[in-house]
Amino acid sequence: MEYFQENIRLGEVFVQLIAFLIVFFTLKKFAWKPLTNVIKSRRERFEQEWAGIEKMKTELATLETEYREHLQKIEETSRVKMQEAVQDGRRIAREIQEKARAESQASFEKAKENIELEYEKIRINLRREIAKLSLQIAEKVVREKMDPAQHEKKALELIEELEGKL
Amino acid sequence: MEEHTVASLAQTAHAVAQSHGEAHELPNFLSILAQLFPDCAIFNFFHRWENVVFSVLVAGFISWRAIVAARSGQFIPKGAQNVWETVTEGLTSFVTGILGPRGIEHVPFLGTLFIYVLFNNWLGLIPLMKSPTSAWSTTIALALVTITYVHTIGIREQGFFNYLKHMAGNPQGAVGLALIPLMLIINIAVEYLAVPLSLSLRLFANISSEDRLLHKFAELNVMYKFLPFFFQLFANILVIIFSLVQAFVFLLLSTVYISLIMPHEDHNPKGTPQDQKLKAIHH
Repeated sequence: MEYFQENIRLGEVFVQLIAFLIVFFTLKKFAWKPLTNVIKSRRERFEQEWAGIEKMKTELATLETEYREHLQKIEETSRVKMQEAVQDGRRIAREIQEKARAESQASFEKAKENIELEYEKIRINLRREIAKLSLQIAEKVVREKMDPAQHEKKALELIEELEGKL
Repeated sequence: MEEHTVASLAQTAHAVAQSHGEAHELPNFLSILAQLFPDCAIFNFFHRWENVVFSVLVAGFISWRAIVAARSGQFIPKGAQNVWETVTEGLTSFVTGILGPRGIEHVPFLGTLFIYVLFNNWLGLIPLMKSPTSAWSTTIALALVTITYVHTIGIREQGFFNYLKHMAGNPQGAVGLALIPLMLIINIAVEYLAVPLSLSLRLFANISSEDRLLHKFAELNVMYKFLPFFFQLFANILVIIFSLVQAFVFLLLSTVYISLIMPHEDHNPKGTPQDQKLKAIHH
């Protein structure tokens, strides 16, 4: 009992109790609450930031998908356009070829006609020349007093013979 | 010269300690002043109330540092704020680990208790200071505060009737009813006497033993010309660690007592939806 009396002083116990309570209420109001609030607000801000990051990631993924779709669409369109251009090119080439072929055929026909015309012209000229020559021959024969009828007949025969050769 | 001064100081301290009769701890500046000026009423008064004086010093220091840290309130903590936030988060994690998400409301009390006990324990390591927790009066006061807090929480959480039922050992059937007086006596004796006694006695005995250890090594230093200095250094390290352990044990036991007095559904690890929300906010 003496030990308890020596070591436990009720007045000191009471004062120590009050001292602790003062510290407790002081810290509760001025330290624990602000510190907890700071930690809580920081945690909430981190959570918000994380949520923002996650949202941005989702948006980015959506944008990436849209971009890829858009890119694919552009590729499809360009492929279609290229095919159309190739088809057009082939068609135009074919048309040009056909046109060139037709033109060449027309030129050929025209040239042929020209040649035939020239041929006829030359033939006529030649006949004229032959006739002229024949007349000159005939003149010579006449001058040499030959029978005109016989000579004319002879000349015409000669002309026809020449024509047959031509 | 310096060695002589230190030696004379130590001898004075030793003499002061010896003059106390059965001195079992190092002299502090109040005991030295009272010894040097025995007729001075103020020094005698402070010497008589030295545990309170040192407790107030600790209380003032803790409050000052905590308020400075809390007022800082920066988004990126530095210095004291960083330390206090680390302590707060550590304590919150520890307490909610035992009590569940609702344990967060007990962090201010348990945190203050832990830090107050820890600094009271460590104060004895500073030359010319004393651990107030090496006095039983201090530890009894702390134990009484803890028990009062625990039972107030018990009544608030369970309701007065359920609290009484808990104190009567949750009687069921005729045997349970018959045993109510016995259970009531046992529970009251355990909860209101044994628990504060064990809490206070454990802390007081450990810290006063540490002080005695330090005192004995200091005596050896004086007697053997500072040869056992390294032993005392070793003892100081031990005291630092054991003081921390004792403060932690006080915190742990207080948390466990709160856990035991809480309604049993709160012991569900997942807790109620409100608890889960609180836990989600906390984590």
